[in-house]
Amino acid sequence: MNRLLDSIKLLALAGGFHFFSSCSYEPEEPAFGFYPSRNFPPVEYSSPRNPITREGFELGRDLFYENGLSLDSSINCSSCHAQTHAFADHNVPLSAGVGGKLGKRNSPALINLAWMPQFMADGGIVHLDVMPLAPITDTLEMALPMQMAIDRLKCDSEYRSKFEKAFGTDTITSQRIFFAMSQFMLLMVSDDSRFDKYLEGEALLSDSERRGYSLFNTHCANCHTEPLFTDYSYERNGIDSEFDDLGRGRITLDPADDGKFKVPTLRNVELTYPYMHDGRFFTLEEVLDHYSDEVEPNMSHRLPQPLNLTSAEKEDIIQFLKTLTDYSFISDPKLAEPRR
Amino acid sequence: MKRFILSIGVVAAALSFSSCSTEEEPTPSPSGTGTLSLNFDYVWAMSSMPFEMETVLYHPMTGDSLTYTTFKHYVSNVKLIADDNSTYDVPESYHLIDLMDESSTSITINNIPADTYKGIMITFGVDSARNVSGSQTGALDPANEMFWSWNNGYIMLKAEGTSPQSGTGNFVYHLGGFAGQINTVSERSFDFPNGSMITIDNNDQLNVTMQANPARLFHTYGSVSNGAMVHMPGPAAVMMTADFNSWVRLTDAQ
Ligand code: HEC
Ligand code: HEC
Repeated sequence: MNRLLDSIKLLALAGGFHFFSSCSYEPEEPAFGFYPSRNFPPVEYSSPRNPITREGFELGRDLFYENGLSLDSSINCSSCHAQTHAFADHNVPLSAGVGGKLGKRNSPALINLAWMPQFMADGGIVHLDVMPLAPITDTLEMALPMQMAIDRLKCDSEYRSKFEKAFGTDTITSQRIFFAMSQFMLLMVSDDSRFDKYLEGEALLSDSERRGYSLFNTHCANCHTEPLFTDYSYERNGIDSEFDDLGRGRITLDPADDGKFKVPTLRNVELTYPYMHDGRFFTLEEVLDHYSDEVEPNMSHRLPQPLNLTSAEKEDIIQFLKTLTDYSFISDPKLAEPRR
Repeated sequence: MKRFILSIGVVAAALSFSSCSTEEEPTPSPSGTGTLSLNFDYVWAMSSMPFEMETVLYHPMTGDSLTYTTFKHYVSNVKLIADDNSTYDVPESYHLIDLMDESSTSITINNIPADTYKGIMITFGVDSARNVSGSQTGALDPANEMFWSWNNGYIMLKAEGTSPQSGTGNFVYHLGGFAGQINTVSERSFDFPNGSMITIDNNDQLNVTMQANPARLFHTYGSVSNGAMVHMPGPAAVMMTADFNSWVRLTDAQ
């Protein structure tokens, strides 16, 4: 009884505080939501029934870091998508799922997903709102049937109240799980690298970085296009002439697409090694050696021949790529694992 | 102040969610509405004997012995054709029939406007738009395991079971694809028998009985020994669904 009274007092107190704060003259913060850099194009993501709210975002973050979404409660999304690595894996070519089983492709950075029209290296996933289904249910990843994921969350009263705060009732469905996770992933925006500051006139580039930028524009930008540093097309960049992994061709069933992979963003590329869909190159030096000397000829009309770069040119391009590292993104507390 | 604004935000979000939600039924119009009961019967091969799950069935064309453990397929976008050729398009009409769950073979659709009807249109599979518009609920919930997570799109028809003619002893056909050449979705139109017209008044029930034939999957494809596993969109899926969908007939309407 006493306890009940205490909690009523607490509630009253909270109410009082609420009243007090609503009368104060604090400057109003902009509503919680999505405020991308003004240099970025319009977003691709469209889901009219999923407006971003603070509660939805926070629920999505809890789910992203939730081990309970894997079969043996051993891993979560961040196991393969770590903030310190721009949400790529911890520098391993292939990622380990439940039971240590290795997946088939390198785990990519999760950056600026709101602009991505299709997901995965082959573009087989066409909407961010169904993206989590693949890693949660894939036996090489989290290996949990979706219905079990829903049932586990339903048994957790904390989650029920979080769903209620985010969506108005405590009903838990796959759609609400996905909506919340989209809200979290949409705010993984990286637009504050030194290069972005340079464009805004707030930072300088060294001579080498500026030379690298201009070489990049000549040789790389036709596929890795600003400001997202990808045009999201599917391309062959000459790493193979025979394809173990058919890439885009596996989805379109068109042999002309065999060996094509989605052009990845190069934002934060310094942190996301190893590189390419199978993680074959560990360093940017190896990547530049590839583009300079080892490109399989005539695999793409946008990269028909090796580029024949001098070692100074390669070094300049690498210096430029490192200006794309966004330290405020990888240390943003909003995106970090919440304390429990 | 901030907290207050935020809570309004949540209410607004909740409201807008529920106003778009698909579970709610439109309010009945004053002219009155009836109910459509759409029932699917399943027969086996040419003998027209009833199809049964978990029973050894002999396929007369291929010579295979087949035991089905899973048979599920989507039926969607039901439309009733009125005597003036206008149609009543049932809203949010997506239904997953699962032959291990007898009740799913009978679909009840309320709020059919009073009118005189002469036929019905049914889509076998799920229209292309719903394959690519993100997360869905109800029959289309991916938790039903009828959605390819790695190559987005619905499995329009799923048939699994065992057969001694298959190399592995099993067969697994996950058939789908909704775009271009690889399209497993088809809309078909059925007249009521003998050109009959059926008038639905307030509170009337229209009973329509359809018949489908799971043996048809193998009509052109042939024996399970030709490939006991199909698990992605492709020519085999197109062939098998086309043979299945084109056989479906309307046997009764009253
Ligand atoms: C076992 C490691 C692993 C786990 C756990 C994992 N992922 Fe991934 N993720 C990957 C790999 C590998 C890929 C790339 C697969 C491909 O391209 O075929 C990927 C791709 C993605 C992509 C697409 C990115 C792009 O550039 O196309 C998104 C988004 C994503 N994962 C989100 C998630 C979410 C959300 C979770 C948690 C529900 C999760 N991942 C859990 C390994 C993992
Ligand atoms: C023809 C289009 C094209 C051009 C031109 C091109 N790339 Fe790429 N790049 C790609 C594709 C496609 C991939 C992904 C290949 C894969 O996943 O196997 C890629 C991958 C990369 C990666 C690995 C990124 C990661 O996260 O794994 C780096 C780094 C890179 N490119 C740098 C460059 C640089 C530097 C240049 C110019 C010297 C360049 N690219 C020119 C298409 C191109």
